[in-house]
Amino acid sequence: MKSSSFHLVLSGSWVGAVMVFFSVGVGVGKAEERVISFNQDVRPILSENCFGCHGFDASKRKAKLRLDVPEGALGRAESGEVAVVPGKPQESELWKRLVTQDKEDVMPPIKSHKTLTQSQKDTLELWIRQGAVYQKHWAFEAPRKAPFPKVAGGEVGGNAIDLFLKNGIQRAGLRLSPEADKTTLLRRVTMALTGLPPQIAEVDAFLADTSADAYEKVVDRLLGSRHYGEQMARHWLDVARYGDTHGLHLDNERSMWPYRDWVVQAFNRNQSFKEFTIEQLAGDLLPNPTPEQLTASGFNRCNVTTSEGGAIASEFLFRYAVDRTVTTAQAWMGLTVGCAVCHDHKFDPITQKEFYQLYAFFNKAADPAMDGNAQLTAPVVRLATPEQTVRMGLLDQQVADAQKAFKEGMKALVYQDPAEMDPSIPAKETEKVLIEDAFPEGALVVVQPATEKQTWVTGNEGPVSSGLKSLKIGGSGVAQNFYNKGAAPFEIPSEARVSMMVFLDPVEVPRSVMIQIHSTSGWAHRAIWGDPEGIGFGTLGTTTRYAAGELPPEGNWARLEVDVEKIGLKAGDQITGIALTLAGGVAYFDQVSLSWRVDAAKDPSQSFKVWLAAHEGKETQGFSVAINKVLKTGAAKRTAADHNQLLEYYLSQVCMLTKPVLQPIQNQWTTLKAEREALDKEIPGSLVMKDVPEGRDSFVMSRGEYDKPGEKVLPNVPAVFPALDPAWPLNRLSLAKWLVSDEHPLTSRVTVNRIWQQLFGVGLVKSAGDFGSQGEVPVDAELLDWLAVTFRESDWDIKKLVRLIVTSAAYRRDSGGDNVSWSKDPENRMLARGPRFRLDAEELRDTALACSGLLDLTLGGRGVNTYQPPNIWEPVGFVGSNTRFYKQDRGSALYRRSLYSFIKRTAPPPFMANFDAPSREQSCVRRERSNTPMQALQLMNDVQYVEAARAFAERLIVEGGTPTERVTRAFRTVLGRKPSPEETEIVLGALNQHLATYQQFPDAACRLVLQGESKPNMSLPMPELAAWTLVCNLVLNLDETLTQH
Amino acid sequence: MDPFFEYQLMQTRRQFFGQTGLRLGGLALAQLCGSQLLQGAVTAPNTGNLPPGSVHPPLAGLPHFKPKAQSVIYIHMNGGPSQLDLWDYKPELRERFNQDLPDSVRGTQRITGMTSGQSRFPVAPSMFEFKQYGQSGRWVSELLPHTAKVVDDIALIKTVHTSAINHDPACTFVMTGAEVPGRASLGSWLSYGLGSLNNDLPAFVVLTPQFPSGSNGQALFSRMWGSGFLPGTHNGVALRGVGDPVLYLKNPEGLLVGERRVMLDALNKLNRKGFEKSGDPEIQNRMAQYEMAFRMQTSVPELVDISNEPESVLELYGAEVKKSGSFAHSALMARRLVERGVRVVQIMHRGWDQHGSLPKQLRDQCVDTDQGTGALIQDLKQRGLLENTLVVWGGEFGRTVYSQGTLTKTNYGRDHHPRNFCMWMAGGGIKGGISLGETDDFSYNVTESPVHINELNATILHCLGVDHSRLSVKFQGLDMRLTGVEPLAPVKAILA
Repeated sequence: MKSSSFHLVLSGSWVGAVMVFFSVGVGVGKAEERVISFNQDVRPILSENCFGCHGFDASKRKAKLRLDVPEGALGRAESGEVAVVPGKPQESELWKRLVTQDKEDVMPPIKSHKTLTQSQKDTLELWIRQGAVYQKHWAFEAPRKAPFPKVAGGEVGGNAIDLFLKNGIQRAGLRLSPEADKTTLLRRVTMALTGLPPQIAEVDAFLADTSADAYEKVVDRLLGSRHYGEQMARHWLDVARYGDTHGLHLDNERSMWPYRDWVVQAFNRNQSFKEFTIEQLAGDLLPNPTPEQLTASGFNRCNVTTSEGGAIASEFLFRYAVDRTVTTAQAWMGLTVGCAVCHDHKFDPITQKEFYQLYAFFNKAADPAMDGNAQLTAPVVRLATPEQTVRMGLLDQQVADAQKAFKEGMKALVYQDPAEMDPSIPAKETEKVLIEDAFPEGALVVVQPATEKQTWVTGNEGPVSSGLKSLKIGGSGVAQNFYNKGAAPFEIPSEARVSMMVFLDPVEVPRSVMIQIHSTSGWAHRAIWGDPEGIGFGTLGTTTRYAAGELPPEGNWARLEVDVEKIGLKAGDQITGIALTLAGGVAYFDQVSLSWRVDAAKDPSQSFKVWLAAHEGKETQGFSVAINKVLKTGAAKRTAADHNQLLEYYLSQVCMLTKPVLQPIQNQWTTLKAEREALDKEIPGSLVMKDVPEGRDSFVMSRGEYDKPGEKVLPNVPAVFPALDPAWPLNRLSLAKWLVSDEHPLTSRVTVNRIWQQLFGVGLVKSAGDFGSQGEVPVDAELLDWLAVTFRESDWDIKKLVRLIVTSAAYRRDSGGDNVSWSKDPENRMLARGPRFRLDAEELRDTALACSGLLDLTLGGRGVNTYQPPNIWEPVGFVGSNTRFYKQDRGSALYRRSLYSFIKRTAPPPFMANFDAPSREQSCVRRERSNTPMQALQLMNDVQYVEAARAFAERLIVEGGTPTERVTRAFRTVLGRKPSPEETEIVLGALNQHLATYQQFPDAACRLVLQGESKPNMSLPMPELAAWTLVCNLVLNLDETLTQH
Repeated sequence: MDPFFEYQLMQTRRQFFGQTGLRLGGLALAQLCGSQLLQGAVTAPNTGNLPPGSVHPPLAGLPHFKPKAQSVIYIHMNGGPSQLDLWDYKPELRERFNQDLPDSVRGTQRITGMTSGQSRFPVAPSMFEFKQYGQSGRWVSELLPHTAKVVDDIALIKTVHTSAINHDPACTFVMTGAEVPGRASLGSWLSYGLGSLNNDLPAFVVLTPQFPSGSNGQALFSRMWGSGFLPGTHNGVALRGVGDPVLYLKNPEGLLVGERRVMLDALNKLNRKGFEKSGDPEIQNRMAQYEMAFRMQTSVPELVDISNEPESVLELYGAEVKKSGSFAHSALMARRLVERGVRVVQIMHRGWDQHGSLPKQLRDQCVDTDQGTGALIQDLKQRGLLENTLVVWGGEFGRTVYSQGTLTKTNYGRDHHPRNFCMWMAGGGIKGGISLGETDDFSYNVTESPVHINELNATILHCLGVDHSRLSVKFQGLDMRLTGVEPLAPVKAILA
């Protein structure tokens, strides 16, 4: 009779746009002995208490007894006993050991601290009595659509989902809550699908729409909203462990947000979950991947990475691959494979070897062990806007033109190396003054000790040899003036001498005077006159303290000169600092010079050959990285192109003969190149996956240690699952395709369960991240399987799935219940009540902003730094990190949706962490929902909420009406519904008290309404605005406001 | 009626949580109900004078046995303080100045990328003088004159070792028992297991004082006091030196205290209506949390107001004590917190990473912290608090005997050294005046009584009456424990 109705549901749109009512007249059967199901009833008990020693992990198995498979339990054990004799508990060793009083024999052993409850023991006894039937773990068998259950008594509203739930609810003895009223329903579904409350106009429209499918129309509208994708992405980003920093050590910023935006868009365009999976796990391996597909592959670049000095590369490559394996298994299969890093999984059939076979898919990733603390650690994809692409093309052209001009200039030039001229150009004596009346420009001079005896003096104040001043140095012991920073270096020509003019004070005669030269090898070049032990720097007898001779006669200027070779310097070295030093007494120093014979054939500023010889094989400060690299490679390995590069550099930047002509043209080229690079930096990029072309061998790592490779393995999937198609290559793309293949038992179940959890607060399997034997069995296995198969058959259509769930009667029920309902099923697992749970951190903040009118609904882009109390980043930030200091954004960025908040993983935004948002350091498939005083403080006092309350209050006042009307509007804005008269009275009571106070203290009112960066409407009476601000603060703190219900 | 007590009454009336309900919602519930209501017949031995209607009761069955300490103050010296220059006295090394560390000592142990490229590993003896102090005659570096005064209260462990060689994993390990992020921290475990003895303050408080500007400060990570897979309620709450001492504690400017009460009264009335309508017990829970938040607005300012501390006490901690955010101030706060029944206080002090300029930096670090540390022990002792407060001091690893960079008589640096380092404990449950373990002549390898980080953490739990092997939570298919899966025991030798 009613079977035709069933067909209606099945053959019609499974999304069930129409409400179908069933009335099944079969009475409930007489209570019989319940039939024990191994998976539902027995496995959880054995898994919790027995499998640790008698399970899958062979290495930890005791007495060679295995209870997870029938062969083990029913066969004869080592001891000769049989653990389980079907039908006969009294003969079963397992049963005897459970109930024995013998402390030695009892199981589980006393030291395990595990005990079975009486009802668990009864279950096991009954199971044995009923024949000890084993089942393969439910989640490892492919889901099948079971026939719809026979429903006993009463009407079943809603869609197919409700057919499944009905019996469980009835068995549990629960009364169904009625359908929620329309405003509640609208707020619930709007919040669930967009993360924002409905606007008053939307409530009115829905109330006015009396058509039978008014609700379904709303659902379709919401599924089409661009905020749907944001809301769905928020949950997926927890799974993907998305963050805006690397997460380890420096925790610098990383550019990953294009991936975040890709996720939003993927949900908005309702990409099938199949493609969603393939692109994220292997977008890079698709044929000619689009930039979007590459961006999607960033899923597995979201893991935390390091660049900590001293970190060992192989260790981190190992960790990254482990993280990607664990995350992928968790996200798609709901499996906790992490335990198999070190040993065979204790509870699920995943051996350690199988773990490393999965890991082998990821262990050839091309990203480096050290992220370089960079924004974009290769491999990356660049995502230019059309304008940027045009500008780039233009600049590329300009750069090419400038390069051409330079090359032509080079070509037009006739340069003959003087070293190769015959006859050669005669040599001439030259001098370069390094210090005359001051240290070189820019030098950061240090005076030690700083006394008045050390100063530059003019001819009126003391002897001066040349120029206008000389430098007086003196003190009781060693005194000196020096610099080694700030000034441009001097290059030493060949056969050079360094000299200084010195005048010894005839009264306070020094013991020794010294000149010290600082080069790239440091302060290692000293010449001393007078007592060679007078100044202790360097080692006497070496170039670090060369005894250059006696002191000159006092009271006269003398030129003290030394060959640079004597102090360890040679042509081409750079002078980067000079110290003038004496021991005891006083002396005047003047003109420090380099002098040499200029022989064009030996002069590096004229001869390329000489210059090259001077710099060959080393790095020189001031040269570009590229030039140094070529020089360092050495002549033997140099290509013609390299040689040409050196010559170009020499002629345009060094050679005094050609530089005046070439340098300007080259500068033009360099400037354009820099502009091109700057543009390149502006173009956003995102981290993507890629494999190293040569591959990387994978091994079973003994005990999970990165440096203990054992058996070599190839990529493969665990044996408990359907095999990989042997025709497929062993890469991530095949793994992804395998995950979404029709036979896969887990992916569809895990996915529908996660979406169920998102909508109802708890999944059909509560342990959304563990579908193994340690996880919870589904509260309704047939429903889960039906949904999983239906989802898969719909080509993994997420919007259809969401629509199906939110249009069920279960979803539409009132979330309140009677005492029986709350006491028998506090977590609402049977779904006799509608969903009710605390909103997530992001929804709470977005709600406040939406009600206030401050909310900025811009989609996408780089993470924003909203209000944050001082000193969140700073106390944890590494000194050199670019996320050490929090720089709050300004203007509308402060009011962006929370999804776009910048997530620094070592110190996540407190407004999120406080409400259980994960730190994104690892994948999270289910958030906790705590309830703490810190949350109350945040919602009452955080400037974001106070400012929102103020802006909200302004809205209420400006829109006008009596206080009662305003309160009504406040409730409707936040909750959709109108307040009851009693509620209005309570709120007005508070309002009047606030008003009275603030009229008495208008200054306090002013201060209150000035919280936050947005400016209040100063034409409003301040006491009134302040009082309404607190009223809005009150309404935004209502439990009902914080709750999805 | 106070909604909190009303809430308790509701619990007994409704009795809605059976064993199954006591998981997530129930956990929050356990936070709020008097332990006696939930635990029924379970007798908890000496939970340490729980206040009536405790907001943070212990888990059923905890503590596992009579605790010696009811609170712990953990002074984490972040960066890896040099054991050779502070506690592990090796006078013979002076004769080996600048000699190469024998290969036989170093063996095949891995070293960090920072010194693995060094051509030689010259021995750098400590340039600091050591003297013997106290009845125990403990050798202590001249850098720690104040801590030296309390050595007879201290059990020094010279042989702590870890498996991590870099800061990030090592800090994560020492605080959460695993190198990889995601686990629950020591403090969170204790908060979860033991609850708090104060209804008006969080159970687990963290302080991050400033450190000398010239020192090499490494990063901290909020995961070091994060609750990982435990409910967020057990996150360490930062007591901050700048801004509000507790996040969002202060009413906004212009919000007069009386108005907050008016708002809360209205909120309670409205929420009660909501509860009557839906029957969701979580609403009662929320009301109680708002009330606790209100109480914290009084209790926390009272906590951080040190104006009534006697001058003699302030002098003990030194002049810096009056500067909010200094180490000395944090040390005093730690005492005030445990005095008020806060279960776990962590002081995370940075700057102990002396790769170079060790003599100068280490001296600065000690000047910054030594007096506060010594004062804390003395202060706790004179108030009779030391016998039920466990104090732990130490970093995430030690430092090498060989110099990193140039070695001179007056300057050297040291690289990370996970093989052995020094930590100490004092107070409740600890035998004072002893030293455990020995290292070789180079303080490079343990020769006697190694103590692994997991054993150290098991010892801390033990002092607080917790059997580390029985404090576990199921997560991702595993029974997660602070101390890992390998069998191990607390360090008996240092237990009183």
